[in-house]
Amino acid sequence: MKSMLRVSGLALASLLMSSVATFAGPKIVSGPGANPTCFKPWSDQTKYFQWEKKPGPYRIAVVNGFVGNTWRIQMIKTAKAFAEQPGIKENIKEFKVVSTGTDVAAQLGAMEDFINQGFDAIVTIAVAPDGFDRIIRLADKNNVVVVPFDNILDTDKVMMVNEDQKEMGRMSAKWLINESGKTSGDILEVRGLPGNSVDRDRHLGFREVMEAPGNNFKITEVVGNWDSGTSQKVTADALAVHGHFDGVFTQGGSDGTVRAMIDAKHPYVPMSGEGENEFRKQIADHYKDGLKGMSYGQSPALVAISIKAAISALQGNVMPQLISIPIPVADYKTLKDGENYWSNLSANFFAPNQFLPCGVTFTAPEIMAQSEANVK
Amino acid sequence: MANSTLSEPAMSSASMTGVPSTGLVPRRSFGGDLLIRVRQNIGLATAIGLFCVVYIFYHLAHPKGFSSAVFVQNADEVFTLAMVAMAQTLPVLAAGLDLSVGALMTMVGCIASYLLSGAATPIEFTFGGTHHVLAVLPGGGVGIAIGVVVCLLAGTLAGFLNGCVVVFGRIQPIIATLATGAIYIGIALFLRPTPGGKIDDDLNWALTNSLQDLASTVHIFDDGNASWFAPFAPIPVPFILIVLIALLVWVPFRRSVTGRSVYAIGSAEGAAYMSGLHIDRAKLAAFTLAGFFAGCGGLFLAIQTSSGNADIPQAGTYTLNSIAAVVIGGTSLLGGTGSAIGSIFGALILRVISFFFRIFDIAPLLQPLFEGIILLAAVSIGALRVLRVKNTLELFR
Repeated sequence: MKSMLRVSGLALASLLMSSVATFAGPKIVSGPGANPTCFKPWSDQTKYFQWEKKPGPYRIAVVNGFVGNTWRIQMIKTAKAFAEQPGIKENIKEFKVVSTGTDVAAQLGAMEDFINQGFDAIVTIAVAPDGFDRIIRLADKNNVVVVPFDNILDTDKVMMVNEDQKEMGRMSAKWLINESGKTSGDILEVRGLPGNSVDRDRHLGFREVMEAPGNNFKITEVVGNWDSGTSQKVTADALAVHGHFDGVFTQGGSDGTVRAMIDAKHPYVPMSGEGENEFRKQIADHYKDGLKGMSYGQSPALVAISIKAAISALQGNVMPQLISIPIPVADYKTLKDGENYWSNLSANFFAPNQFLPCGVTFTAPEIMAQSEANVK
Repeated sequence: MANSTLSEPAMSSASMTGVPSTGLVPRRSFGGDLLIRVRQNIGLATAIGLFCVVYIFYHLAHPKGFSSAVFVQNADEVFTLAMVAMAQTLPVLAAGLDLSVGALMTMVGCIASYLLSGAATPIEFTFGGTHHVLAVLPGGGVGIAIGVVVCLLAGTLAGFLNGCVVVFGRIQPIIATLATGAIYIGIALFLRPTPGGKIDDDLNWALTNSLQDLASTVHIFDDGNASWFAPFAPIPVPFILIVLIALLVWVPFRRSVTGRSVYAIGSAEGAAYMSGLHIDRAKLAAFTLAGFFAGCGGLFLAIQTSSGNADIPQAGTYTLNSIAAVVIGGTSLLGGTGSAIGSIFGALILRVISFFFRIFDIAPLLQPLFEGIILLAAVSIGALRVLRVKNTLELFR
């Protein structure tokens, strides 16, 4: 009996040893990486990763956190459609999407479960920028590629995909200054969900330009939670108190911001905001009256690029640690019906959904028209 | 009525712990005794049965079912919710609701993210323009031990505060804890306006893995390779912690006069008062212990995530899920019957439902619908007793 215990103990020990021996994770290599038009490194300082090549097809999971707003639903539909697309489909053996809600323990659990199930890659929107150390350690140990996108992590140990949120803020500020032609005046800033890195970075980028030496803007800040209803309410409140603004920067729920201005009979002023189709329709309808709008977009199609990046990494290609996706921008001069906005569609979706350099070819209306059953 | 409700929890206490009860229940043959105990704890028995069925099914369907890695992952995921559910059980037993458990958990987690880094940490703050250093927390094991104690004390103290507001302020628990919960979230936000902090790597690794990893991290039992240790090595550490907390904290409390008074308050507060029980003391104890359990949850979540995060939606999710877990675990929201052990199983069932989405191919946007249906079914099983009731009056117990 005792010897049997000893044997099983030894077996277990050797099992653990072997798992330590296979400890891998990505190697840090020098660039350039594969397909640089799609997988553009964030900056010159971005390091490059290379995982051991694995034979395909792969098992890939998308672990979403919160579900229930348009953006997330569009993201999930995009993920499903992209996994079915020729060129991608052949590389995927199994594809799963789960949403864990705003519970970090559940999200960590889901990711670890997929690692245990032997999945090759996990694409995720992290519910918090911190707290994934254990998962990263396990993923490296099991040679699993983890790709956070959108709400990314404060670490450089995983490959991540995002648009430059700070640049969105800077871009918005420059737009307002150029369109109004002034370096002073009253500006309304409608912020996003508090405590979120995206909200923080867009705000910082915006302030960086607005508060640069030589500028003298008076900025009123309200919190709109990236939600049309909330954004409309706080904008109405701000208009009631301040009366007049020379320009508006809204992080999201942009159509609500415009609606509040229309309701208050506020004159149209230069404005920059998110990529909602409704907002782009408003710009197209009213730019002649002064709503000189710019619409940047955090695209739900980031998920498709993340899936593509995961596959590329599994194929053994050299990948940048932080992948920068160009910000899709449209303004009143470049808006084109049926191309980057759709005047005949009333459902509020996020217009930018195509990224041709990455082979993401379907438009937002195509995605939103697809039912879950069709995509499966 | 007071009599019957008073003696019922006293009997179920014995059945839960498996310790033969003394005095209150006449001794019977083992089989008959067991049957009666099961009948008296039908809620708990249903929860355990349901859990076993779905959990075994999960492991059978999982490619690596019944392996240590899967057990470890499951235990990590369920621990915090189980603790928060245990915390919720106590106010519910006393016919109240605690809306602050999620906030309390979050607050303790944020405190932990400062105290458990494993390095020497000065406790400092700036007030009125001047900088004060209260104390310096030593590094290493001693510092971590002090940090853990401070976190648990903070949780307990916050629970005691809840109890004070309810008992001395004579405010309904649901409203009192709504207010105190906002205070705790406020403190958490003050401590961690943005997520961050640091937890000792070894502490994180040792507590969120199997006993083998714990032993090899702290270098005991021959780094976990001692031959006698082998059978225990694959057991997840969080599982051991839950069992220890249940056996060393909950069971003794449950068997004490104060613990039984909590049940008595839940069934008939007036009758309990007339019977000479210390109502105030029992309520205070219930909320204080709830604070301790929620504190344990927050501490573990911080260790698990190596950070503190004053996440308001998450705090709300945990509060709501704790109530669901309590109900699934067979505790009546009217108070007086149930147990914290049942709530652990309630939390387990709640988690296992979502485990299935990772194994089976269910359309992602339909998952919340399925989760809701299964949850409704699980809660309804507990309501089946209505069908067996012979006298409608019994429904009002």
